[in-house]
Amino acid sequence: MSEFERARPPGGGARADGGVRADAGARTGGASRRGTGGGPGRLLVAVYAVFALAAGARAGVQIATRFSDAPLAYALSAFAAAVYVLATVALARGGRTSFRVAVAACATELAGVLVVGSLSVADPDAFPDETVWSGFGRGYGFVPLVLPVVGLLWLRRTARSGGGPETGGGRPVGGGGE
Amino acid sequence: MTDALSTVIIVVALLVAAYALVTTLRNRAMDAAHLIALGVLELLLVAQAVVGIVKLSGDEGPDGSVTFVGYLIGILLIPLAGAGWGLLERTRWGSAVIIVVGVAVAVMVVRLGQLWSGTGV
Repeated sequence: MSEFERARPPGGGARADGGVRADAGARTGGASRRGTGGGPGRLLVAVYAVFALAAGARAGVQIATRFSDAPLAYALSAFAAAVYVLATVALARGGRTSFRVAVAACATELAGVLVVGSLSVADPDAFPDETVWSGFGRGYGFVPLVLPVVGLLWLRRTARSGGGPETGGGRPVGGGGE
Repeated sequence: MTDALSTVIIVVALLVAAYALVTTLRNRAMDAAHLIALGVLELLLVAQAVVGIVKLSGDEGPDGSVTFVGYLIGILLIPLAGAGWGLLERTRWGSAVIIVVGVAVAVMVVRLGQLWSGTGV
């Protein structure tokens, strides 16, 4: 739908090499017209989606098979997974409500990874089994530590360039939905 | 599991990611080549799922087979999601999503190998 809203670059649509020339919106980041889920935001949403899937599946298995072993760690896994899912959906949707939800989710993640990371390093016995946030996300290549920071920076950028709460992210949103 | 198949999948997944990186840097949207590459990757993953489940139903396999099967099935969704997304976002960022797909599949296959051999649960 939205590819028709955007201006074609001069002489655009050239199919050299069988490729489709990405249009001008991509070069400017696409932020101004696409909201949090468009342009570079897609990349962010994709990484979030992978983490939502990974954390969710892991938490599901942990809780289903051996919850009593480490209730705190597994409850945390589930919580982390829920936050990732929320962030993924909110970033993908754009719009005023989603923007706020996304900010809250990213902030919660950042707090979670810092607090749980610190605690798991200081007192490993309290976290007998790994969570996504243990050791500052060490088990996941420290991506859980970097992701919320990138997410918050991206949200700030889209807000500034007019893709955030002011314009509803380029997509009409009723405002009631999560 | 089968080392040969795993190795092939990892190589193909990383090639897909590398190709998507090139098209992202060249500011190009996803094209037919991406779709074909993702299709090949998906077929390999289906083959892996079949081989994995057949082997599991024999005597081989890890203790935590729930996680293993979860990975085996879950990994099938990733190239499909990437293809759909690449088709929706007709900019370089559609290609960029496919980088994530390739890397994620490669990591998940490595993880599957670890789960199979029981190292690093």
